[in-house]
Amino acid sequence: MKTRILTLLGLALMAALPLAFAQEGGTLRVALSSDPTSLFMPRTADRTASNASWPLYDGLVWIDDDGEVAPMLATDWTVSDDGTEYVFTLREGVTFHDGQPFTSADVVATWETGMDDSNDYAQRFTMADSVEAIDDHTVRITTPEPNAVFLTTLANDWAIVPHEYINAVGLDAFARNPVGTGPFRYVSRTAGDRIVYERNDDYWQEGLPYLDGVEFRVIPDPSTRMAAIQTGSIDIANRLTAEQVEVLEGAPGVDLVSYLNDRVYYVAFKNIGSGVGTPLEDARVRQALNYGLDRFGINQAIFSGQANAAPGFVVEGNLGYDEEMMQPFPYDPERARELLAEAGYEDGFEIVMGCPADGYININEVCQAISSSLAGIGVDVDVDFQTTGTFWSEARYAVTGPMYVDSWSSEMGEALPRLEGALVPGNYYNTWEDERIADLIERIQQEVDRDARAELYQEMHRLMVEDPPFIYLYQPVIFEATADNVVGYLPRPAEDYYLHSVRFAD
Amino acid sequence: MIGYVVKRVLESVALLLGVLILVFFMVRLTGNPVALMLPQDATLEQRDAFAAAMGLDRPVPVQFAEYMWGAVQGDLGDSLRRRQPNLEIIVERLPATVELAGAALLFAMVVAIPIGLAGGMRPGSWIDSVARGIGLAGQTIPNFWLGMLLIVFFAVELRWLPAFGRDGFSSIVLPAIALGFAGMGQLARLTRSAVLEVRKSDYLRTALAKGVPARTVSLKHVLPNVAIPIVSVIGIQFTYLLGGSVYIEVVFAWPGLGTLLETAIRDTDFPLVQAITVFISMFAIVIHLATDLAYGAIDPRLRIS
Repeated sequence: MKTRILTLLGLALMAALPLAFAQEGGTLRVALSSDPTSLFMPRTADRTASNASWPLYDGLVWIDDDGEVAPMLATDWTVSDDGTEYVFTLREGVTFHDGQPFTSADVVATWETGMDDSNDYAQRFTMADSVEAIDDHTVRITTPEPNAVFLTTLANDWAIVPHEYINAVGLDAFARNPVGTGPFRYVSRTAGDRIVYERNDDYWQEGLPYLDGVEFRVIPDPSTRMAAIQTGSIDIANRLTAEQVEVLEGAPGVDLVSYLNDRVYYVAFKNIGSGVGTPLEDARVRQALNYGLDRFGINQAIFSGQANAAPGFVVEGNLGYDEEMMQPFPYDPERARELLAEAGYEDGFEIVMGCPADGYININEVCQAISSSLAGIGVDVDVDFQTTGTFWSEARYAVTGPMYVDSWSSEMGEALPRLEGALVPGNYYNTWEDERIADLIERIQQEVDRDARAELYQEMHRLMVEDPPFIYLYQPVIFEATADNVVGYLPRPAEDYYLHSVRFAD
Repeated sequence: MIGYVVKRVLESVALLLGVLILVFFMVRLTGNPVALMLPQDATLEQRDAFAAAMGLDRPVPVQFAEYMWGAVQGDLGDSLRRRQPNLEIIVERLPATVELAGAALLFAMVVAIPIGLAGGMRPGSWIDSVARGIGLAGQTIPNFWLGMLLIVFFAVELRWLPAFGRDGFSSIVLPAIALGFAGMGQLARLTRSAVLEVRKSDYLRTALAKGVPARTVSLKHVLPNVAIPIVSVIGIQFTYLLGGSVYIEVVFAWPGLGTLLETAIRDTDFPLVQAITVFISMFAIVIHLATDLAYGAIDPRLRIS
């Protein structure tokens, strides 16, 4: 007994060791899956680019590790009663990497330069009607109407830039030599190869960052990223496949991290265009398709169980998610056949389903599996594979097939972007029109109170299950690997590298 | 001779025009960049505004005319994503690709020529089997697969060499082998068969008959005579390596034109994809032209036909 206690004590001590001996300094080497198009946030067309850019900047607010909006360059803020006017008090004593002090003029410049037509993400800035400096450290931002995700967008997209510098050199030159207030400052970039940052010694957060620097290495091929982490030549590798993770399991010096991606895959229906006059107009049919699809089997067979069956559009990690309430449709082919019979389709029917060939990991197999699974309830799905170029060039209502496979990510911790994209009538990719859903989305958009919004999401979920506009498929898992001496790295749902508090264990 | 040169140059220009036209239209078959570049939640108005800002809203013939006019003047346009002149981006990446292609070629030559020579001199011997084996392996093993194999063995298992990147001499060894492997096979086969051909000649039989040592025969008589076909294949190989390094560069994260092309395709950066393709084609055409002209100078028979 005594030895056992000692062993336990020893184990506890060993577990505490990495933290106790965590040391400052060192350069963290992080793999990027592609060469960032820009280091100027409004132009970071893909997630890799914004991940690599963020360590240079701070936002007014950020999303903390609990998913809450928390102060950053703004120390606090007030929202007007009608929810359209925000007043931010800015942190004093913060300087940019070029030595300029951070003031309200910089917030105005961030907004103005962000709205430039040449920016890929201009609409993340045009969401504000006006940004005015009240005094040096107070800023008023107004939005045309109450916007539920305004603060989240500030946190995700508004990287504060220095007004004098960016106005002097212009956007192109700024992107080549970016300056922010962030924990790391830009040193150099070798095209296609690496991006080097060093510690910002004057960072306003006392004692941070721990690292001396960060080096991003561009490694496009996932197998090479795996080899690089195995050989210890990088410290963090993301976007690995499930098969690679199996190989890496138990590899010396490598820790594995996995987390749910905030992306839902689904089969969309149309009740406009080619969807008019099809069996899909009957809610019972759409329910039957949800019951008759073996999403658990597909997950097992195609993703080795490494994906979550999606309960709807509000998924784990989203505001308003409730595990008990939000269970995926069970696989119940009998119930499906009953529903089909009730709707007058006891002999099933034929339907075409568009599929973006190779558009997502394993999507071709998924499309085939959907077809064979639904054949079990007498629905004959004809899979229409299209090249991704064709599939995504057109507004989705123009794509053939009254059904098609698609996915939406969110990156905001709530389902709103997904709902807006796929279900707001008139939107580019929307093919389903339901007034009740549209009204509810509008209420969510304008509900600034989080708890009230959470309830609206639950109401939305119930509606989207009773009268489903989609067959819900799955939510994938993201795999990353880190060197086992990396401490304090917490992957975030948007795959962003939040490196303020990362350090090396001894 | 002048007629020959004019004819060759005109052919090259026609070829280049063909490439320009083909690339422009092929790139446009891959989809609409506005839909692929903007975030999913962009509205129709935002899509239109972006297309206008990028010049993608103009009719295709107008875009084509502008592109051709620019290309004739040596202007390869601006990258959609990187907001930089394409030529600037390409030139930045070119040294890495030339370096890798050069190293691959060097590897291929250093291995293939001696072995091909030795094998050809002694047909049926063990060294000849090696030469034939190398020839076969080089032409059948896909280079990206070989690349992965090399990484797993030399980088992950043995830890002798880096798995990726461009960090001095040690980092170029594996990608150069992977990239040069096919060329090595071709060169070994070619050298071997050229030697076999020369060996049948009368002057060689005479040299051997009068007792010249085999070593001297190889170096003094065989090598100069097999050099011409080898040199011409090396020229072709080099252009092939410049364009054919896309897979290898991606596998080894080598920051050259190949990885740039891969990213440009992934980013649907039409102008950049176009520019890289045109640039590589131009490179190849110029090298072929130079080789042809050099041939004409060396071998009078070619000038007549």
